[in-house]
Amino acid sequence: MRTNIITEEERTKAFTSIKKHEVVDKQGLDVRYHVEDFEVNNLPERFLEAFAAILEHSNYRLALEHYSRVAARCSQCTVACQIYQATGNKEDIPCYRSELLLNIYRSYFTLSGIIKGRITGTECLTEEKINEMAESYWNCTACRRCALECPMGIDHGLITHLARYILSEIGIVPRALVVSVREQLEGASGNTSAVPLPALKDNLEFLEDDMYEEKSVKIKFPIDEQDSEYIFFSPVSDYLMEAETLMGIAAVLTATNGSWSIGSEYFDAINYGLFYNDRILERIIKKVDNETKRLNAQKILIGECGHASRAAKNFLPTFCGGELAKPVESIIEYTYKVWKEGRLKLNPDIVTEKVSYHDPCNFARNRWIVNQPREVLKSFCNNYIEMTPSGENNICCGGGGGAVSLDEIRQYRTTVAGKLKADQIRKAGCEILVAPCANCKKQLRELVEDQGIDCKVVGFHDLIYRAIVFDDSLIVNDERNLKDSKEDNSKEGN
Amino acid sequence: MSLYSDFIKGQLFRLCFSIMILGLIRILFLDLIAAIKAYHKAGDKKIQWKLIIRRSWEWYFPIKRLKNNFHIYSIFSILFHFGLIIVPVFLFAHISLWKDAAGFSLPALPFGWVYWLSAWTIVFAISLMTGRLVIKEIKELSKPQDYVWLLLLLIPFITGFICANFNLSPSSYQFLMIVHMLSAELIFVLIPFSKIAHCVLAPLSQFISALAWKFPPATDEDICVSLNNKGARI
Repeated sequence: MRTNIITEEERTKAFTSIKKHEVVDKQGLDVRYHVEDFEVNNLPERFLEAFAAILEHSNYRLALEHYSRVAARCSQCTVACQIYQATGNKEDIPCYRSELLLNIYRSYFTLSGIIKGRITGTECLTEEKINEMAESYWNCTACRRCALECPMGIDHGLITHLARYILSEIGIVPRALVVSVREQLEGASGNTSAVPLPALKDNLEFLEDDMYEEKSVKIKFPIDEQDSEYIFFSPVSDYLMEAETLMGIAAVLTATNGSWSIGSEYFDAINYGLFYNDRILERIIKKVDNETKRLNAQKILIGECGHASRAAKNFLPTFCGGELAKPVESIIEYTYKVWKEGRLKLNPDIVTEKVSYHDPCNFARNRWIVNQPREVLKSFCNNYIEMTPSGENNICCGGGGGAVSLDEIRQYRTTVAGKLKADQIRKAGCEILVAPCANCKKQLRELVEDQGIDCKVVGFHDLIYRAIVFDDSLIVNDERNLKDSKEDNSKEGN
Repeated sequence: MSLYSDFIKGQLFRLCFSIMILGLIRILFLDLIAAIKAYHKAGDKKIQWKLIIRRSWEWYFPIKRLKNNFHIYSIFSILFHFGLIIVPVFLFAHISLWKDAAGFSLPALPFGWVYWLSAWTIVFAISLMTGRLVIKEIKELSKPQDYVWLLLLLIPFITGFICANFNLSPSSYQFLMIVHMLSAELIFVLIPFSKIAHCVLAPLSQFISALAWKFPPATDEDICVSLNNKGARI
């Protein structure tokens, strides 16, 4: 599937910066996202220092050395890149973007490059180049679809990840991400949305009451329970904006007698370190690990969020003891497991709309979670339709790699980055689009709104919540429920 | 002339071929050593071998790939590589050369097959060159060496094809044969130092990429010390 190049009018809209000229002049950085003030002197030198330090203490040199030798500049990655397809700009070709950093690596960190530089006397890294990288590496949504198409096996997503890491070490990183991470790691609330614990507890009690009224089942959000099987981390934004997703998750765990708890000292699954800095990634992962140890939980359960799940699944073993690290499960895996075991019952007559499923890149690109949610959805959504391409080869929502958190580039996300996805949703003609990821959901809602597509975007557990069937032993028939049911009956009689 | 020809076919061939083999062994060895070091540094040593093998395999036998996305340049490239590998290795004349130089031989392809495969390779090399000149996204990224390499690879194929299929005067034949051998020997020498090194490195790419995502633990402090920003606020 391919998309057309955007019109000139759309291009103007998508690439117009809302930043003040004084800020751009002061920072000498012409990017559309906001950046906190940073040390603007000696940028190339500082970039190279950061690059050298990271190379010394990481495994990136291995990949850069290999990629510099094999890169063929064949542009076959363009068939996979939705950004390039929408803009037609050579700067958006994945291998062009990767070459920006590979050229610096070759020039400053390989013997032949250093000799060549000495002979020709040319400087490969300038402030303009840094400007170009700061723009280019944040235009990419890091979906890694291009890596599937590279005949040389170059993972352009890895290079984007590294380039952002180096840029962040010299202070060039989107403000929205830094502010959230600062609150998460250094703030009083300890989470990205600055939700205080009392507010979280109030909210959860409110949700418990709602669920009781709707389902007549006492569903609890257990907090600080020791020795449970699972400790649950949800993207904290879900506690504010995705009530039905959380209710669905709690309902599944209750219906299947799950042993779980939320930690009061740390409950946020979001890990923006995955988008821009490995040191931040490690610090956040350690917070997850510490809270798990504090409550002595056996496993870590991550809510509906692609990047948070991948960050925990892939990097908890990295930073917290390898094989000794606590196992990580996505809530999608849990729900699939209990459904497969016959412990989760879903009513097939509730969801009658045309439903489709969007694969979050962080779930699907490495084939981690692809078929599991589909099997569950098909079991109770009679009108399920598949979008193509899907699974490993899925199309990114357009808000990946942290882009969705940057409200200042919404026009870019919904006009350029999400254009191919919008075409795909339109073609599928679904009424409900299931996206089991907080970031994808936000982006897709903005996308369908801006592109004028009539489709409702919901979480996976939102639909589960609608269709879940509880065991009779869990249903409470107290006076209030009896009264409500009498009222309903009398209304139906009238 | 015959003296030169013998030298080019004999000592020079052996020298250039040795440079290529040793050069490729060197970079392969360096890659593997770096991979082993990275593996030991990694905090998580679990490698998704199944995924790595499947993704690598898909590029060696790319028929399945054509079902999904494909670029016209990708088709040219696959077809070109097929001829590029088969013809030099399984041509009878080359096999004799191997036998003289290295003491081993391989089964040879029938002459008719080699004729068509050589023509095929020339056609797709020209298609690749045209693609680089015409297809916007490839043209914009191409560097002079990308064109030079295609031209260089074409020379031994065209000269070999002419020598094998046309009636030439002895002097023209000998001249073209020398060009044929010298261009091939130049290719041998350059391979380990250019992007054509992918002939041995590309099979490792998926593994290298997977390993690069396996970060070493506890680098926070080391990097902060190196950058002199230990204790700095976020």
